[in-house]
Order: sequence, then C-alpha cells, then structure tokens
Amino acid sequence: MELSSAIAESFRLLFSFDAQLWTIIGVSLKVSLAALLFATPFAVALGFFLATVPFRGRRACVIVLQSFLSFPTVVVGLVLYVLLARSGPFGAWELLYTQEAMIIGQAIIAFPVLAAFTLTAVQGADRIVRETALSLGATKLRAALTTLFEVRFAVMAGLFNGFGRVISEVGCAMMVGGNIAGLTRSIPTAISLETAKGEFAQGIALGMVLIVLALGINAALNYFQGEGGMK
Amino acid sequence: MSALLHIRSLRKSFGERRLLDIADLNLDAGRIYALTGDNGSGKSTLLRIIAGLEPADELNMRFDALTLNGAAYPDALRRDIIYVHQHPYLFHSGIAANIEYGLKLRGVDKAARDAITAEAIDWAGLSSVMSVQPKRLSGGERQQVALARAKVLNPRLLLVDEPTANLDRAAREQIVALLRQTASDNNCVVVACHDREIIDLPGVHKLHLEEGRVTGG
Repeated sequence: MELSSAIAESFRLLFSFDAQLWTIIGVSLKVSLAALLFATPFAVALGFFLATVPFRGRRACVIVLQSFLSFPTVVVGLVLYVLLARSGPFGAWELLYTQEAMIIGQAIIAFPVLAAFTLTAVQGADRIVRETALSLGATKLRAALTTLFEVRFAVMAGLFNGFGRVISEVGCAMMVGGNIAGLTRSIPTAISLETAKGEFAQGIALGMVLIVLALGINAALNYFQGEGGMK
Repeated sequence: MSALLHIRSLRKSFGERRLLDIADLNLDAGRIYALTGDNGSGKSTLLRIIAGLEPADELNMRFDALTLNGAAYPDALRRDIIYVHQHPYLFHSGIAANIEYGLKLRGVDKAARDAITAEAIDWAGLSSVMSVQPKRLSGGERQQVALARAKVLNPRLLLVDEPTANLDRAAREQIVALLRQTASDNNCVVVACHDREIIDLPGVHKLHLEEGRVTGG
C-alpha cells in the first residue's frame, strides 16, 4: 500500500469509527489510566517522603529511584512475565495475558516517573512554604499537604509524563498482555503488529491518535500551569 | 507587668561558632520590641527558635503558663506564636485564601472567616489588589498580606523578621503603621530590624543582640 493511500485509509478508519480500531484505543486508555490511578498515591507518597524525611540510606533510595527512570520497559515485562507465568510464584492468579497484568506492568513503569517528579517538585519548593504553614498553626501533616498542594502543577507534570510513557510503551504490554485482539491489544502493540504485517493504515491511524493524545496532554498541562499562577 | 515569654536559657551554635547564648530574656504583653543587631548576629535565628521553626541546642522557656524545657515544640504553641518571614511566602491560592488559611486551620466557620478576612483586607489596604495573583504583588504588598494573615489569628506573640528591608519609603511607612496597629494590650510584637522608623517609634522597647546576648528591653 502506498503511503498516501495508507494515510487516506487511516483517516477513513478513524472517522468511520472502525470498531476494531476504537477498541484498541479504548484498551490503551483504560489500561494506562488504571495504571496511573493505581500508582499515583503510592508514588507521590514515596516522592514526598524522600524529599522531606531525612534517614540513613535516603541518598541510595533516590539513586535507585532515578535509575528506574531509564529502566527498559521490556525488562519490566520480562520480570513480570516470570512472576505471572503458570510456573511462576504468582502463576495461580492466572493474570498473564490479561489487562490486569498490563495494568500492573504499566503501574510499575509509571511509578518511578511519578515519584521522581514529586521528589524534585517538593525538594524544589522553598523551605518557607512549610514553615509558613507551620507558623500559621498547621500540624506537620497539614503543612506537608500544603507544600504538596503548592507544587501540585509540577506533580501534575509527572502525572502527564507518566501517562505519556505508559500509553506509548510496547515492550511490557506485549510480553504480559500478549497482544490479544479485543482484549489486550493496545495502541503501540497494534502498531507494531500491523507494521510487521505491512498493514500501515491502522498503524498510521493509531499513531495519529498517540500524537493527538500527546498534544492534548501538553495543552492540558500548559493550561493548568497557567491556572496555577505561573502566568 | 507579667512576662508573656520568659527565656531562662537559649543556646544555639553552628559548628564551633556559638551564635546565641541567652541567659535571661523577658517579653511582656502589650509591648512592641525592636530587635536590632548586626547582620548575622542571630536575630532571625532567635525569632525562628522562639517560633519553633528551628531547633536550639538548649532551650528553657516559659510562654504564659506553658514551660518548654528540652521537650519537642508543641503544635499548640504555634497557634499563639506567629513568625512572619522577611520575604513572606504567599500561597498560590489568592490573597483572601492566604489571609483565611490560619482561620481555616482553627476551624472558624465560613461566614465568620469571610467577615474577618474582609475586615483584614480593609485594614491592610489590600482592596485594590485583590484580583492580582499573589506572586505578582510587590514586596510591600506581600508584607501587607503576610501581616493581615497573621493579625486575623490574634497571635499572643508576633515575631516579624525585617519587614521593611528593601522596601521603598511609602511601603515602609505603610508597614510601620500596620505594625503599630497590630500591637495590643494582650499581645506582644517583636520586630527584627535595622529600620530607624521602627526603632525610634514612641513606646517601642529596644532589644539589641550582640555576641549571642540580648541587652535592653
């Protein structure tokens, strides 16, 4: 198929609301958002803890966390595969090749991004944010929450960044999801498959969706940052 | 006049250097104190220790009926002692939200909060800048918000750190006027400063910090 006709076909698939295509998009969004929902509270709590509580070994923890930022997603998939495979320690749960397995994998991938952004944001917050809250009568917990609220837009940047990372990752999704049509086939795994088959139209259509999502995420981030007093 | 705050001993060192070594200091209710001293003499550190924002190496003090001797700084004390930074931080949530922050923490209901906040806005002369984002306020306006934010809480002891530093004359005069109005018979205001306009105000008691010790009062 020529590139021009592939592009034309991709538009047709998108705007004729091709069921197969939109199922793939739906799976991607569902899995990625669920992974973020699952990872965010723990990741933000860890990032905040590392930024505010001094303890022995804190530096090592930060280095490990930052190293996980560049951890290949395919290795996450491999480890998870070994754990969830029938012969693995969690094989009895029968999670391999399910959306749940993809959600776990993507949550693991998003976790260091969210935690590292929170860590940086809170560390970057002026010390007097917390002191001001304390001095006005806040408890330590309330002062911590106030600080987190003050850096919410930087944390939100981490959230969007994490979303961008998980919705476009292919390695882990392919390994633990299995790329099963209608069940675990996501945008990046479908693009990979269709391209291998020489069927570019669906790949291009899905690629356009990813680009639109990336633009939308950045536009939303810019909007919220503007609303957050950064004008 | 009874001492609102009585420091029996306060010591603070940074490395080998002993910054504060105070054996006896009384702050009485109903008074404004100007705390002077060279840059780096420890004025800010003293205020921050009293406000519980920085630990001392040794601290034995009594505030009203509460004695603090080596124990952790109680959260309840922060309700009575408020410290205003030299460069106050204003939360991103708007001027009114800044002023009512402490009221919310104290469980004041919304109607009362709104009334107190409106009064404080008027008191501090902030009506014309209410639509401006806090980060866009001038240094003087930020101080006005910070003082209004502290005043609505009726602190027994208000500690203000260099409130007029780097301000132009008009802003300085406004801050000095607000500081005078902040003092009452029931509370005590301590202002760390170099500003003669504050030091020479009638009725202001002078404290001087030198080589870790406070004289005057």
